[in-house]
Amino acid sequence: MDVIQVEHIRKKFGNKDALIDVTFSIPKGEIFGFLGPSGSGKTTLIKILTAQLNPTSGQAIVFNQPAEMMHQSAQKMRFGILTDNSGLYERLTIEENLELYRQLYDLPKSSIDKVLQFVNLSGERKKKVNRLSKGMRQRVMLACAIIHEPELLFLDEPTSALDPVNSAHIYKGLRYLNENGTTIFLTTHDMAEAELICNRVAILYQGQIQTIGSPKELKKQHRENVVCVDLINGEVHELPINEGTADQIADWMKQGLIDRLETKEPSLGDIFIKITGSELL
Amino acid sequence: MSFSLKRARAIFVKDYKEFSRNYAVSIMLIFPIILALLIRGTGQSLPGAFALVLNPSFVLLTSFAQACLIAEEKERNTLRSLMMTPATTMDVLIGKSTLVFVMSAIVLAISTYIFGYEPINKWAFVAAIILSIILYTAAGTICGLFSKTLLEASLSILPVAFVFTGAPWGALLVKDFPIFKVLEYVPSSQLVYLLDTRNIGLTTGELLKPLLIILAWTIVLTIVSVVLYQRRLKDE
Repeated sequence: MDVIQVEHIRKKFGNKDALIDVTFSIPKGEIFGFLGPSGSGKTTLIKILTAQLNPTSGQAIVFNQPAEMMHQSAQKMRFGILTDNSGLYERLTIEENLELYRQLYDLPKSSIDKVLQFVNLSGERKKKVNRLSKGMRQRVMLACAIIHEPELLFLDEPTSALDPVNSAHIYKGLRYLNENGTTIFLTTHDMAEAELICNRVAILYQGQIQTIGSPKELKKQHRENVVCVDLINGEVHELPINEGTADQIADWMKQGLIDRLETKEPSLGDIFIKITGSELL
Repeated sequence: MSFSLKRARAIFVKDYKEFSRNYAVSIMLIFPIILALLIRGTGQSLPGAFALVLNPSFVLLTSFAQACLIAEEKERNTLRSLMMTPATTMDVLIGKSTLVFVMSAIVLAISTYIFGYEPINKWAFVAAIILSIILYTAAGTICGLFSKTLLEASLSILPVAFVFTGAPWGALLVKDFPIFKVLEYVPSSQLVYLLDTRNIGLTTGELLKPLLIILAWTIVLTIVSVVLYQRRLKDE
């Protein structure tokens, strides 16, 4: 069953196209990455899917209903969202911020402890938000977005302000959420992040989807058919994948000359550059 | 349009905590009391003198506090986060307005006591005050929704202050400038008219007219604030 279906969505701001004929679907339980540089239209699509924007044309379906219905309270109970436009109450403590969300979603008190553990902030609950680091604030905002354990989670650059340790903690948490049935729609310009946690990704550039597939499929599609061999004498060979190369490698192996052997796989970042001819910014 | 008391109460409690820790805005609570202390000397002798306490207080406490509460939420992106929760337009607006309403009612009751104002018709007085608080809260909501920052909200209150507190004064010039007749229909002018009932003694019909004019303003501004809030739900 598809949680999100996007069909030929176009969005224009004045004369500028933000999204052009965007079509894809996300089945239940998937972590879907929407990748692209800043200004490519990622946030615009999240806004359309959460009824903050209307598309110029095309149709977006979320939970089998038109995305415009997402403004209804019953639908809002089903999704969570963390974007650049999310904010926290500065004069309140972490716990007081979460208490507001707990009450708005009508949840038991234990949900605060659970979500604080999830974002690794149990010990900081009494701290006022205006005393927190950027990374900690990001984790509190994530906690607010997932306190009700939504069926669908929209994340717009969720780890952009986090150090690698905190990012790893968030990835672990997102995988846990996903294993428990949450479908995740993630936008990022961090290709390594997408590669690490997404089941499927779409690369968006200048408002258009350039390619879509699992990171593994995309890498396979765009890989160079060469194998790199580092020999113990320091020589490095880049050989085409064919029968002759297989024989050559077998010879080197028999002689114990091989130090390292690898196929040359592109990263998602390399694929992005190859497809768009542009660097990620 | 659905409403949940539980969600409105959660927003009210959150706003109370924020407001009580925001000294720049909560200091305005003492403004009506200071005005009452300063003006009570003129007390009973000057017709409509209590309006000199009430009308500026509605703007500088009720509208200002509401505009700041809304604008700060916009400035810090918390209003957008709130809009993404199950809280409906009514939950948010009633939750936020209740704090300002309760604060204004308490502070104005204290000011009335300090000033020593004793209305002839208490029901008409209470009804006028309640309607005016709702009206100025709606005006504050509109100012807050049009502002992007706290600073802008503070400035956006100026036209409200100019029109609403200046109208009764402008209405005094109606003989020289007949166009100023229109200022008599501003709610602050009608409040002055009502407050003066003890001096000129009005019939029930004459009491109803100013109340109905204030009610009409209250309904219009409340509708405008709700429609404007709903428009802000969209990013178009």
